[in-house]
Amino acid sequence: MIPVLGLLAGLAVGLFLDPSVPVWLQPYLPIAVIAALDAVFGAIRAILDGIFNDKVFVVSFLSNVVVAAFIVFLGDQLGVGSQLSTGVVVVLGVRIFSNVASIRRHLFKA
Amino acid sequence: MTLLTTMMERPLDAGYQEAADRRVAAGLPGATSTRTVLVVVLAILTGFLFAVAAQSLRPKPTAAAAVKKELVTRIEALQKHGTDQEAKVAALGKQVRDYEALALQQSGGTDLTSTIKDLEVQAGAVPLTGPGLTLTLDDAASTDAGADAGNRPSSGFQEGRVTSGDLQIIVNGLWGAGAEAISINGHRLSSTAAIRFAGQAIIVDFRPLSRPYVITALGDSQGMQQLFEPSFAGLYLSQLTDEYKIRSIMAGSDSLTVPGDSAVRLEVAEPVGPPVGSTAPGTTTLQQGTTTPKRSAGAGVAPTGTGASTTRSPSDTPSGTTDSGTGSPASPTSEETPS
Repeated sequence: MIPVLGLLAGLAVGLFLDPSVPVWLQPYLPIAVIAALDAVFGAIRAILDGIFNDKVFVVSFLSNVVVAAFIVFLGDQLGVGSQLSTGVVVVLGVRIFSNVASIRRHLFKA
Repeated sequence: MTLLTTMMERPLDAGYQEAADRRVAAGLPGATSTRTVLVVVLAILTGFLFAVAAQSLRPKPTAAAAVKKELVTRIEALQKHGTDQEAKVAALGKQVRDYEALALQQSGGTDLTSTIKDLEVQAGAVPLTGPGLTLTLDDAASTDAGADAGNRPSSGFQEGRVTSGDLQIIVNGLWGAGAEAISINGHRLSSTAAIRFAGQAIIVDFRPLSRPYVITALGDSQGMQQLFEPSFAGLYLSQLTDEYKIRSIMAGSDSLTVPGDSAVRLEVAEPVGPPVGSTAPGTTTLQQGTTTPKRSAGAGVAPTGTGASTTRSPSDTPSGTTDSGTGSPASPTSEETPS
């Protein structure tokens, strides 16, 4: 419950402050959001499985975001940024779907 | 394909299981609490990230959009002003015509009244009401997106848009099908009206139109429809609909109104035969005259006999007749254009 409140508080702060993101950072935002979603759904599934660990969550979250951003950065430098972004989105998207399916089985037994 | 298999079947980080195993081996419960400081901080961070991403990736109203909005308000205000002025012109034109008719009547030139009425109808100077067709054209639905994006389309031509050429072909098709009077979005097409384009806008008689384009054509609605649909313009229209998804609706109606063309003005006037009394033989010269004989009919033909009411040669006709008093309302208007 408290983490959910934290999430909402973070949303409110972000909406209220409306910080301007530097232009060079903007290509990484969508990928970072996808990576963060992946980590969050993984954490929810771990909670439901009864094996949640806060350190693992934090480390997986940060490494997901950093690695995803790095791949996009590398792709930009090599001139294949959009293709690599697509690859990251596909891999993380599949993981999100699988984790959400598992969460659904836990919650609805279906 | 171990990578794919792992991705599909074990999407959860293996680290969770390992950490849980370690904790169980150490005699602790497998899962840690979700209420630790780390988790809460990260949750706040995640929410912040989502909000920032959503806000910065959403298209923002730019300074150009504000200027555009300002311009749109001004354009709309001025257009409304223009419409009001047009209505005023129409009202004044009607008044002038009434005076002309009165003057004619008083001087006994009743034959001319019907001629003038006839010519005014043909020139598009007066509003008409009658049965007819309305044809509504609109851009394809796919061009709706981006219409409000705050900047004008950079690419020159979009396939789904109605062009001035389309309107020209369709209007000509309607004339060919027997339309007697046509207006587009309330602008009467006289014989001097032009349908053109400037940039992305369609312009009829120097007035820009906005979509949807409603073409009103007076005439026998059944017959027109039957003639129009198999004609070139009708086929062209159905091609537009099929190929480019341009939307078009045709509907017949028993009572439609097309307004008069307020831009009609005197261009050429000729005297009509002998001045007073015998008016009939000379009326034909008027019909050859111009497309816009409204003023010439009213002023140039005025049976008052004051030759000053012609634009070409005020001096070559007899002057100083008995009726000059009654003719005075009409004669001053002959050499100026109605505003």
